[in-house]
Amino acid sequence: MDFDFTPEEQAFADEVENWLVENHDPVVMDPTRENFTQLADTPERRAFMKKLAAQGWLGMSWPKEYGGQEIEGVYEYILNEALAKHSAPQIGKGVGIIGKTLIRHGSEFLKKEFLPKILNAEIEFAVGYSEPQAGSDAANMQLKAEKVEGGWLMNGQKIWTTSAHFADWYWVGARSDPDAPKHSGISLFLVPMNDKGLEIVSLPTIGKDTTNQVFFTDVFVPDEYLVGHEGNGFQYISEALDLERFTMFTLSPSTERARLLIEWAKEATRDDQPLKDDPNVRRLISRIVTDQAVAKGLSTRFVCAARKGGKPPTIESSQYKLFATQLSQRVCKDALDMQGAAGQIHEGQDEGPIRGRFEGAYRATVVETIGGGSSEVQKNIIARRYLGFPKNF
Amino acid sequence: MDLEFSEEQQMIKDMARSILDEHSSVDDVRKMEDDPKGFSDPLWKQLAESGLLGLTIPAEHGGGGQSLLEAALVYEEMGRTLASVPHFVSGVVSAGVLVQAGSDAQKAAWLPKIAGGQTIVTPAWLEPDRGYGPVGVQLSAKADGDDFVLSGLKQHVYFGSAADQLLVLARTDAGIDLFLVDAKAPGISMKQILSQSGDAQYRVTFDGVRVGGASRVGAAGTGWETFSTVLEDGIVLLSAQAVGGAQKALDITADYAKIRTQFDKPLAAFQALAHYMADASTHIEGGRMIVHEAAWTRAQGRSIKRLAPMAKLFCCETYTDVTRMCEQVWGGVGFTLEYDVQLYFRRAKQLELSWWDTPYLEELVAADVLDS
Repeated sequence: MDFDFTPEEQAFADEVENWLVENHDPVVMDPTRENFTQLADTPERRAFMKKLAAQGWLGMSWPKEYGGQEIEGVYEYILNEALAKHSAPQIGKGVGIIGKTLIRHGSEFLKKEFLPKILNAEIEFAVGYSEPQAGSDAANMQLKAEKVEGGWLMNGQKIWTTSAHFADWYWVGARSDPDAPKHSGISLFLVPMNDKGLEIVSLPTIGKDTTNQVFFTDVFVPDEYLVGHEGNGFQYISEALDLERFTMFTLSPSTERARLLIEWAKEATRDDQPLKDDPNVRRLISRIVTDQAVAKGLSTRFVCAARKGGKPPTIESSQYKLFATQLSQRVCKDALDMQGAAGQIHEGQDEGPIRGRFEGAYRATVVETIGGGSSEVQKNIIARRYLGFPKNF
Repeated sequence: MDLEFSEEQQMIKDMARSILDEHSSVDDVRKMEDDPKGFSDPLWKQLAESGLLGLTIPAEHGGGGQSLLEAALVYEEMGRTLASVPHFVSGVVSAGVLVQAGSDAQKAAWLPKIAGGQTIVTPAWLEPDRGYGPVGVQLSAKADGDDFVLSGLKQHVYFGSAADQLLVLARTDAGIDLFLVDAKAPGISMKQILSQSGDAQYRVTFDGVRVGGASRVGAAGTGWETFSTVLEDGIVLLSAQAVGGAQKALDITADYAKIRTQFDKPLAAFQALAHYMADASTHIEGGRMIVHEAAWTRAQGRSIKRLAPMAKLFCCETYTDVTRMCEQVWGGVGFTLEYDVQLYFRRAKQLELSWWDTPYLEELVAADVLDS
């Protein structure tokens, strides 16, 4: 048993940490953007991704023949947690689900077109699985892909495409065979985001940023941009979640928020008395640090399970995601409770505690127990795979 | 990072499991409830002979010289089987105090016998209407020549009737001191107090009990420091015990949910119940991780000042939450004495209240985070 990184892993973690301190840029690394810091959605942040590429930190776990280094996925975990800690954009879906799926199932044409651009941070993707009638039930997607001469004609709608307004390409699932069973009538396509048949409608959220709806009107996709085989789309989507073992939901943002809260609580006063002497504050803080340590443990557990190879660490990652996202929200809730009336002051004003950081974070973290498989979906997974229970929905 | 056990660790865990399965069946556990002695000789003998009793006592004093990590694996098994034995009070806390602060003569006299199971030593610590902090120790030990005379009341003295020696926390002119006192010494009287878990605990009255100066453990005024340091390790083991109990309670409940049908389907097919149990499994796995991390960290020689209280705080709360939830899944039968889940339910709450309770642990963590 060993809870430390190996010396090599620790050296890499130190290298990344030092590099991020040296390359600190408040425009790129704005913690008040909360979860949206992970996106490379501005020119400055895209430039930052170029610097990461120059470090050789994109595609580290890819096969060498595609420009990777074939090193253990745990290095990508270390990198992403460090990026998240510094509120920098993360290596994300290009290197992850899209790159890894193309390497496994993509044609030579698609590999040639996209893999080098991913490694050089020249391309950003949006992912389109969800639809109004396909949320947790992702396999219920209805966006129509109709076979036509030389390609496919797409009509319908996607929703919750967070990156649609800045991405270059759309990685999108559509129903290519309406007569096939639910899970086997889906195919994956790559569509340029600037296609004139795509209409992107912003959907502002209670967090600071927006997500999008995307409407398809007679979008023509040439045959070459079908990913892998027709009808295998849902299999690729599921498989990608397994391939992407190491860079799921990061813990660092919530750890950093807890650290910030403790710093604040140590200095804050109420009625001229140190707030930290308030028994309720002491109690809440003790709970937060305890649960953060447990979340860290669950994260270590899934990383170790992922590293063993073989079976994907589905149970471990579901348990981690369930616990960590609920905790992340609780940290914000407890912070506002500690701040009392001042907790309501909207984020970004000097009058608020920590400039209203937790007021904003309270809103921004709502999505965490919903996106990427809601808490209820995680519990269903745990019930079936860990407890051996029958399907209950 | 690597969560695998070594071969030796796995062997220790397997050995504990097989001994406990044989000698701490549910029937054995039920037989011991409210028993004045509180443990069975065959189990005690097996633990001693296998080396599990003295597992963390240094080898030069007749123990196994293993770390807190190996002990945590054993304690998870004890929790799983609800083992009723004075292992913790004698083999862990009392032995730990002697290892840390005992004179060479005290170590030589007691440690090999504790490891061998011939001698049982149990702490006499808590007092009625007093708390877990140092101010709670008010039993007085008045110096009289080279001797001390002890007067006062102790409560929650586990396995008091079977103990050969009491390790008494007492107030002296120097502060708090620890004394080894013959459990049969004149002036000592004991009364069994029935507990929620049905273990063998006693209220002990000290009425002018005279002990020699040589029975003090450690330098004058160091008793509290010694005892707290030893308990810091000890509560990691109790956390492991909580994880083991919670896991077993969940296991039997999940099995029941698969066979018990209502509305023509098994309880396990009801999402409301499945989600309770999915949450429970997540907390148990999280608790197990923090226990392993605390035990491993201590085995590396690093401080567990924050990790240890966090582990007990989280694991004991998980144990109580999980067993309350299990009662709900079992429904009406769950709170009859005939079914086993109530055995876990009652022990969970008692463990949470014992050996530093939730408010005390929260304050230990808060002080480390906020006041340093």
